[in-house]
Amino acid sequence: MSIHIKDLTVTFKNGVTAINHADLEIPNGIFGLLGENGAGKTTLMRVLTTVLKPVSGTVALDKILYSEGNYKKIQRKIGYLPQEIELYPNLTVQECLEYMGDLAGVPKAECTKRIEYYLKKTSLVEHRKKKMKQLSGGMKRRVGLVQALLNEPEFLIVDEPTTGLDPEERIRIRNLLVDFSENRTVLFSTHVVEDLAATCNQLAIIQKGSFLYAGLVRNLAEEAQGKIWICKASDEEKAREVECQYRITSKQYVEGGLQLRVISERMPELECVSVPATLEDAYIYVTSQAR
Amino acid sequence: MEKETKIVLPFYKIAYAVFFVIILSLIRGVTHTYEVGIAIEAPLAILTTVFCADTYVQEIMSKRSEVHRLYPIKRRFCSIMERIMIQEIFLLVLAIAGYGLFFIVQKPITHPVTENETIQFAVYCFAITITIFFWGILVNTLSMFFRNMWMGIGGCLLIWMVANSRGGENVFGAWNLFSYMFRNIENTADITWLYGKALYICIGLILLATLPNIIRRRG
Repeated sequence: MSIHIKDLTVTFKNGVTAINHADLEIPNGIFGLLGENGAGKTTLMRVLTTVLKPVSGTVALDKILYSEGNYKKIQRKIGYLPQEIELYPNLTVQECLEYMGDLAGVPKAECTKRIEYYLKKTSLVEHRKKKMKQLSGGMKRRVGLVQALLNEPEFLIVDEPTTGLDPEERIRIRNLLVDFSENRTVLFSTHVVEDLAATCNQLAIIQKGSFLYAGLVRNLAEEAQGKIWICKASDEEKAREVECQYRITSKQYVEGGLQLRVISERMPELECVSVPATLEDAYIYVTSQAR
Repeated sequence: MEKETKIVLPFYKIAYAVFFVIILSLIRGVTHTYEVGIAIEAPLAILTTVFCADTYVQEIMSKRSEVHRLYPIKRRFCSIMERIMIQEIFLLVLAIAGYGLFFIVQKPITHPVTENETIQFAVYCFAITITIFFWGILVNTLSMFFRNMWMGIGGCLLIWMVANSRGGENVFGAWNLFSYMFRNIENTADITWLYGKALYICIGLILLATLPNIIRRRG
């Protein structure tokens, strides 16, 4: 399953354009959507889940065009985990999933089987009788992921599933997403570069409603090769001067001054060495180029 | 049904509804038995409004509605109907218990010109059932339409104030939403107050008919 977005524009009633003539192709597998807060990631996801209607442009799921008449067909193929969903606090994990599976139209016997399978996969079996309000943030997110998978969607959309989680839970969620991406398309939105580096082969960077980059993760890193420098500033004054001239991605005190990670097309006029670019460097490079 | 009950009847809602009826029976003075139903109807309309306001809007507030959008409309409609029914049955039981509570707390006496107690109670049950039915559906419809329960409660309160006033009584007469309260107690043969109740039912059914459309567009 692949998704084709062509010349998509979304404008809100207050005149703000959240997505501006965007083109994108999301292939099978896990696809990352990276962007700062307010870049338009959630808006794009809301269009893909049929919650929002675009002002212009087309979206197609395989060959099914997003239009009022096709919404039913499209909705059946989608699983969605919104950014800040609060599942029924007074229901147990099992009840909550049964309830949502029933609403999704999954036959009862099939639903029970799937719940069993996904609870095992997400290590939630021993928590199935706990009320939703008794779960930790990470567990809630895992239950949210299971509810999105109950109808066996061909297209799974997850909006910042790792936000606010501790490192262990983040790794667990990431691994689950990779497991579940087999034979389906997963759109994984986040503003945490690390999460995408660990899970995706392909990604798109969105800023102010436009895509700055769409392609392979490794190619993105290459875009910034030769433009990342580790520089040493003798004191804070010097470091501040460098900060005014260049984009700094990290700064730390070392023996004899400050060490700065600088993004620059040419070598800064300091004691510098060129270092390989990470995905985070590449992301900052691409977004700062667009500013 | 069990899961819907857990969703729409959390402990705090049960608690405040029960306290509301207990406090009402303590502070609203009645002398005659025919006044009990009158004393309960309008406050219970308010309680129903507040109680049922989050029937669906809780899905919007918790962002679950974005997932619900992917579900078939028919199932979503059935779910909302079940929720309304569960809450209204609870409120009806509470209204009947409240009627009894007034007798225990206030010990009203039978007025010589009114019907016997059984008929009065039956008439009260009929009137209060329709009151709960109407206000429950109205507040849910308004809340869903505006995607905000306070708009639903505010809208209902406005209608409640107009209907439950001298002006409302004079303007709408027997067609008033609170016609049971304003009926002529001494003329038991006068059943024109049923017009108002019939109007309640009709409007309620119309609102129910619009619900799938509201779910589709505003859900």
